Amino acid sequence: MVEVALKEVTKRFGEVLAADNITLKVNNGEFFTFLGPSGCGKTTTLRIIAGLEFPDSGKLFFDDDDVTNLPTYKRNTGMVFQNYALWPHMSVFDNVAYGLKIRKISKEEAKERVQKVLNLVNLAGLENRYPTQLSGGQQQRVALARALVIEPKVLLFDEPLSNLDAKLRLRMREEIKDLQKRLKITTIYVTHDQEEAMVISDRIAIQNKGKILQVGTPTEIYNRPQSLFVATFIGGGSLLEGIADKVGEKIQVKINNSAIQGTPSSDEQRIKEGDKVAVVLRPENFVLEKPRSTSNQLRGIVEWTAFVGSRTDVRINMNERRLLIHAPPDIMIPVGKEVTFYISQEDTIILPMEEVS
Amino acid sequence: MEVRKTWSRLRRELDLMTGTQTLLSVFILILFLIAPLFLMVEEAFVYKGEASLKWFFDIVGDAEFVSFESRGGRLFEVHRNIMYIWGLDHGILLNTLLVAVVVTVFCCFIGVSVALIMARYKFRGKEALRILLLVPLLATPFVNAYVIGKLFKPTGGLVNFLFFDVLHLLPWRIDIDGLFGIALAQTLSYYPIVYLNVFATLMNIDPSLEEQAENLGSKGFRLFRSVTLPLSLPGLAAGAIIVFIFSMEDLGAPIGFLGARANPLSRKLVSYQIYSSFAEALAGGISPRTYALAVIMLIISVIGFVAVKQYVSLKSYAMLSRGGRWSPRVRKPPLKYGCVIYLFLISLVFAASMPQIGTVLLATTNWATSGTLPTEFTTKYLNSLATNPDVTRAIINSLMYSGAAIMIMVLVGASIAYVVARRDIPGRSLLDVFATIPVAVPGIALAVGYFLFFSRNFRGTLLDPLTDPVLLLIFAYSVRRLPFTSRAIFAGLQQIDVSLEEASLNIGAKRSTTFLRIVLPMIVSNIVGGGILSFVYSMSEVSTSSTLGALREDRMPITFFISQIVYGVAAVGAVSIGAALCVLLMSIQILAMVISNLILKQRVAFLGV
Ligand SMILES: Nc1ncnc2c1ncn2[C@@H]1O[C@H](COP(=O)(O)OP(=O)(O)OP(=O)(O)O)[C@@H](O)[C@H]1O
Ligand SMILES: [Mg+2]
Repeated sequence: MVEVALKEVTKRFGEVLAADNITLKVNNGEFFTFLGPSGCGKTTTLRIIAGLEFPDSGKLFFDDDDVTNLPTYKRNTGMVFQNYALWPHMSVFDNVAYGLKIRKISKEEAKERVQKVLNLVNLAGLENRYPTQLSGGQQQRVALARALVIEPKVLLFDEPLSNLDAKLRLRMREEIKDLQKRLKITTIYVTHDQEEAMVISDRIAIQNKGKILQVGTPTEIYNRPQSLFVATFIGGGSLLEGIADKVGEKIQVKINNSAIQGTPSSDEQRIKEGDKVAVVLRPENFVLEKPRSTSNQLRGIVEWTAFVGSRTDVRINMNERRLLIHAPPDIMIPVGKEVTFYISQEDTIILPMEEVS
Repeated sequence: MEVRKTWSRLRRELDLMTGTQTLLSVFILILFLIAPLFLMVEEAFVYKGEASLKWFFDIVGDAEFVSFESRGGRLFEVHRNIMYIWGLDHGILLNTLLVAVVVTVFCCFIGVSVALIMARYKFRGKEALRILLLVPLLATPFVNAYVIGKLFKPTGGLVNFLFFDVLHLLPWRIDIDGLFGIALAQTLSYYPIVYLNVFATLMNIDPSLEEQAENLGSKGFRLFRSVTLPLSLPGLAAGAIIVFIFSMEDLGAPIGFLGARANPLSRKLVSYQIYSSFAEALAGGISPRTYALAVIMLIISVIGFVAVKQYVSLKSYAMLSRGGRWSPRVRKPPLKYGCVIYLFLISLVFAASMPQIGTVLLATTNWATSGTLPTEFTTKYLNSLATNPDVTRAIINSLMYSGAAIMIMVLVGASIAYVVARRDIPGRSLLDVFATIPVAVPGIALAVGYFLFFSRNFRGTLLDPLTDPVLLLIFAYSVRRLPFTSRAIFAGLQQIDVSLEEASLNIGAKRSTTFLRIVLPMIVSNIVGGGILSFVYSMSEVSTSSTLGALREDRMPITFFISQIVYGVAAVGAVSIGAALCVLLMSIQILAMVISNLILKQRVAFLGV
């Protein structure tokens, strides 16, 4: 188990920057996730850590060891591939035992360790099956067992759940999380599913076009996105454009002729008076009664409502700007009625305007 | 910076195994393909120590080689109730090109017709015909042409006996011999190459393309000309260039005809000229004019091959528009067409299997000496395969050479396929090209190159063909058939997801371990398939066997031995023993096909670009 550090890692495929000057540190025993849209370079970054791809520049450290140029077979990482990459000509036992054979571990010990790890992933009894005779979930566990059995320094997952059906996906992600907590292996996980990332990770790195935009705990990322891309990629919400009016502890934003006060999300004070800014309002942060905290008061006309079980979605037209609000499920609001609603200034996220593609 | 990056990438990519694989392949390709051919080309352009086109001018200026007026021969001339169809002698070089063009045109015509019928119609007995149509691919080197020569003898030939004497269908006896006879023999044995290539493209054409055209009102020949033919051109071009190359370098038909009929016109071909210059080689070496002849052949085939390959890769659009329903358009022909189809296919199958049937008859009866028809069965020729020491030695020789060649081919073929498919080193596409190009190198040109290069630079060693041609034969087989093995293995590698290898590397296995434990087991059927195919081709290889193999009697391979028998110079005498050897070759080939089909569940790869 190690700490993994990337220092200014850059990788280019022709014109495409798959990893753009990435510097970050994954702590010992941490569950760390790369999250980003398709093609943003998550897999490439993971493969660089695995040693299956080599950076054009920059360095990679496992603890204090510079492993940048170490071939993958000397890194002792355990990777679980998206398609599992089980060897079709080997039984489950042989697939899992392969890494131990390579390490010249005695037959008896290997057998014991394979048994143990198969128990761990709930596969005991299937040793003699071949990969084609297993269900998707079982294949997934074999791939996991194969990576775990060598007691890797780092466990790597590349969208391991994307080939499973929805239900199994939920179960497997809990299993993976539990296992990781028990074994305390430094784990790096790649996914494009934000919910999966939030549930499973200690910390998340949001990647776009090769760049790491923000690293933080799920709560930080959700509540304090530092860029518009992160704010819109993680979690839903309505977006209002405006001009920064007063900048201080709080920022006041002028939207048409109303004003909204909010907290700047980024640590650095990037917003100046007169700048174009975006106000991100999460639907679940709205309330219909005036809260005790300092809050913004807004008014608008109910355009439609939809009961979705645990809540009622309400869309509000506020001077031709649409806002989505999560209201309590039992509420009854007639369409066409004008309502007043509130959002605390703490939850009002204000970010510099940027091009979001 | 760039240099350092390339260097560090190269160091990573060139681990011990990749390095060994690359070096081995490059070494063998250079020593046994590039260097000999290069030296031969160089020598052909040198006269008295200076660069010169003398040898080429010699050839072009000599009526013996190029003559626009006929220098002899008979074409559709009738004398004393015999129509002579021999072809006209326009000089050795022009003859060769003419024969190759004629054979290619015939093969394209027959091949396309057969492919269209087989791809678009269904009728009773189609499966049986599908197999019978491939009979000509069974190797009966030399003897096939001998049989045709024998059948078309004006007196005593079975064809004339049947159609003139018995059925009275012919106004005269016909005498097919010489260049035309050779073209006929080649057409009959090569048309399946065009047929198979065109058939494969036809099966890949999206049916909706033709349906669309039909929907717009196009049908019959118009549909064929405007849609079907253009779409199947890549297959046609691929088949055609191979037929052309095969025809140019073929030695089997001229020698077979010479054995049957001794018409000197059959000698007037480049391949035969080069062959006979190996007889002089023992005495004093080969004349640079022969190099120039070989170089002309080499250049024509390589340019043709490369052009076609380029064209085919540009035109592979036929496969692109897949989607929707995907069943080939097959339908029952109307009765009238049905009869025509049967008549055409059955006569074709019959005509094209004549050589194979004749070979079996020669081997199992007294037909060689009995005249028009055989009169009694005998097993003595087949027995002699085991009892006649000369015959047995030739068999054992060929088995050993082909066996050794297989090992080299698999080793080099797998190495090249792996490096090309998986590793990112500079020049790997070049490696790919050089692993494919042997298809386009005429065997006799390679033989000349070998003779020149190794007898000059390795005098007295085991690589000197005058000391012992064995090693050279083995490497010639290996290099010539390398494309089949490496293509087969490459196809296997493309089926394997790279992540299966990466998983192994990631777990801690070195590249070599990964190759042995993960990659090899998964492509073993491709290796065996490619290996079997190459083995068969090596056993029946003609060009280098009959040239380099001629240099030492105790080293002769089967095919050279057959040529000697057919030519009438081998001490064993009767052509029947040559036929018996051909029966042996055919059996091996059938066995190999059965193994690939049944056990390995793969269709036998065929000759294509
Ligand atoms: N071997 C390669 N050669 C060329 N381009 C590549 C290669 N591998 C990745 N790329 C490119 O680099 C970019 C990042 O690819 P990568 O596979 O890392 O994305 P990803 O974030 O994993 O996407 P996905 O969610 O779709 O898996 C893409 O634009 C991709 O096309
Ligand atoms: Mg990916």
